[in-house]
Amino acid sequence: MAQILIIDDDPDIVEAMKIVLESKKHRVDIAVSGAEGLKKVKTVKPDLVILDVMMETADKGFEVARTIKKDPKSKDVPILMLTAIKEKTGLGFEKEAGDPDWLPVDDYCDKPLNPLELIAKVDTLLAKK
Amino acid sequence: MINPGIERLYWLARLRWIAVAGVVLTVFLATCLFKFPLPIFPLVAVSATLAAYNLIFVVLLANVKIKASNPAINRIANLQISLDLFCLAVLLHFSGGIENPFLFYFIFHMIIAGILLSRRAAFLQASFAILLFCLMVALEYSGGLAHYPLSGFIINSQYRNPAYISGTSFVFISTLYIAVYMAASISFRIRQREKILKETNSRLEEKDRIKSEYVLHVSHDIKEHLAAIQGCLEPVAGGITGELNPQQLDLVQRATRRTAKLMFFVKALLGITRIRLNKEIKMENFDFRDALSEAMASVASKAGEKNIALDSKIEPGVKNIRAAKEYIQETLTNLLANAVKYTPRNGKVNALVEDKGNNIVVKIFDNGIGIPQAELSRIFEEFYRASNAKEVERDGTGLGLSIARQIVELHNGKIRVESEEGKGSTFIIELPK
Repeated sequence: MAQILIIDDDPDIVEAMKIVLESKKHRVDIAVSGAEGLKKVKTVKPDLVILDVMMETADKGFEVARTIKKDPKSKDVPILMLTAIKEKTGLGFEKEAGDPDWLPVDDYCDKPLNPLELIAKVDTLLAKK
Repeated sequence: MINPGIERLYWLARLRWIAVAGVVLTVFLATCLFKFPLPIFPLVAVSATLAAYNLIFVVLLANVKIKASNPAINRIANLQISLDLFCLAVLLHFSGGIENPFLFYFIFHMIIAGILLSRRAAFLQASFAILLFCLMVALEYSGGLAHYPLSGFIINSQYRNPAYISGTSFVFISTLYIAVYMAASISFRIRQREKILKETNSRLEEKDRIKSEYVLHVSHDIKEHLAAIQGCLEPVAGGITGELNPQQLDLVQRATRRTAKLMFFVKALLGITRIRLNKEIKMENFDFRDALSEAMASVASKAGEKNIALDSKIEPGVKNIRAAKEYIQETLTNLLANAVKYTPRNGKVNALVEDKGNNIVVKIFDNGIGIPQAELSRIFEEFYRASNAKEVERDGTGLGLSIARQIVELHNGKIRVESEEGKGSTFIIELPK
């Protein structure tokens, strides 16, 4: 059982993920923008952050990830990045993901994430922590 | 691509070789066969001069990088035509002057000038030709220059006959100016049309780009909504939100499957549009064997389900390739997945990678349903699916092979297919290393 923060501006996806994660007895908090997400990282102190890329700006998620990882208080919180932009930009994250300067996330996956995959990824990241 | 201006200069040089050969042949025939008493030495010397400067010119053109700026090309063309006119005038002088009917060969230079040069320069060249002609006629008439008669061809010398001189000159001068005028006008119209075609073409390309951007945005928006629908449906279909009765479960599962199909289609559409817009792709060096084995691995389970023997053979020379790895892997996966999809149970799918010097050739064989002969030429078209493919597999985007073709062509490679209906297909990709 862990405290999970979902930062995503799509309320439907957030709700679906919340239901899936709560079925595994995780506590889920929600932020619908990058700015709100950063605030909640400080107040909620999550064990894991699920982060969308395109929010206020097309790469807001990147900025949020960098800010979380720079802050000594939250630098150890694993981040699972969600994205639907791969086909649009041709940008795969195989190389970038994990690079501390460019995209400091622990795992990423293309939207939509099927419930079993979501649970598996979350479990793996929490176990690593 | 060779600059069209420089290409025209090469054309001029080729014409000059023909002219040199023509002059030598004519002199030979006239003196040996018809026994005209022509001064062979000066005529051969002029031909040699023509050949010499043509050779120098061709060598220079091949070795010196002429900046493709038009003024330089025009200056070179102008200079050459002037030299040619001078040589022709000298040739005429040594072979009967105004009495030689070859004097109308000046018309060829006028046509060339009309095509290659600006209208003004072409008229100046015509005036230069006329000046040379008049000078030759006047000097021969006055005795300033010797006259070399074409004895045996022209019986009574006409080079001092004022009526002949004025008549011929009139025809000569008017012919030259008319020739230049016509050639320049035709060439001007052709160039105008060329310009319009080019402009239209670039406008169409721009429209195509805008359309692709539009498709990209629309597909992306659709995909976002689809992702949300899928995200909501899957927990319900998976029973995470609680037990469903059989009817509810059936309907939700149907909806989930259809959403997944639509998602697959939208992703393919996004893929092909992305490739179209990214004309320049990010190249990297990688081991081709890795790309193939990853592609093989990604279709292995599907092949296993149908008990299809999946095998690959790679020639020892095949190692590194410079290409866009993600795209190449996608293409290989695509072709292998197709082969597995359209091969019946217990069939065979083989990949063979050959090393052909600068190229890698990939052949993907299957003994599946094949493609009808009449449809072979269309299967790389967007949204086209072979008629027998639709019978075997109702769903399919018709985009896979089109994406493969675009990726291969972006790498300056080639893709083709050989197939016999009922026996199988072989897809062949040739990629530069």
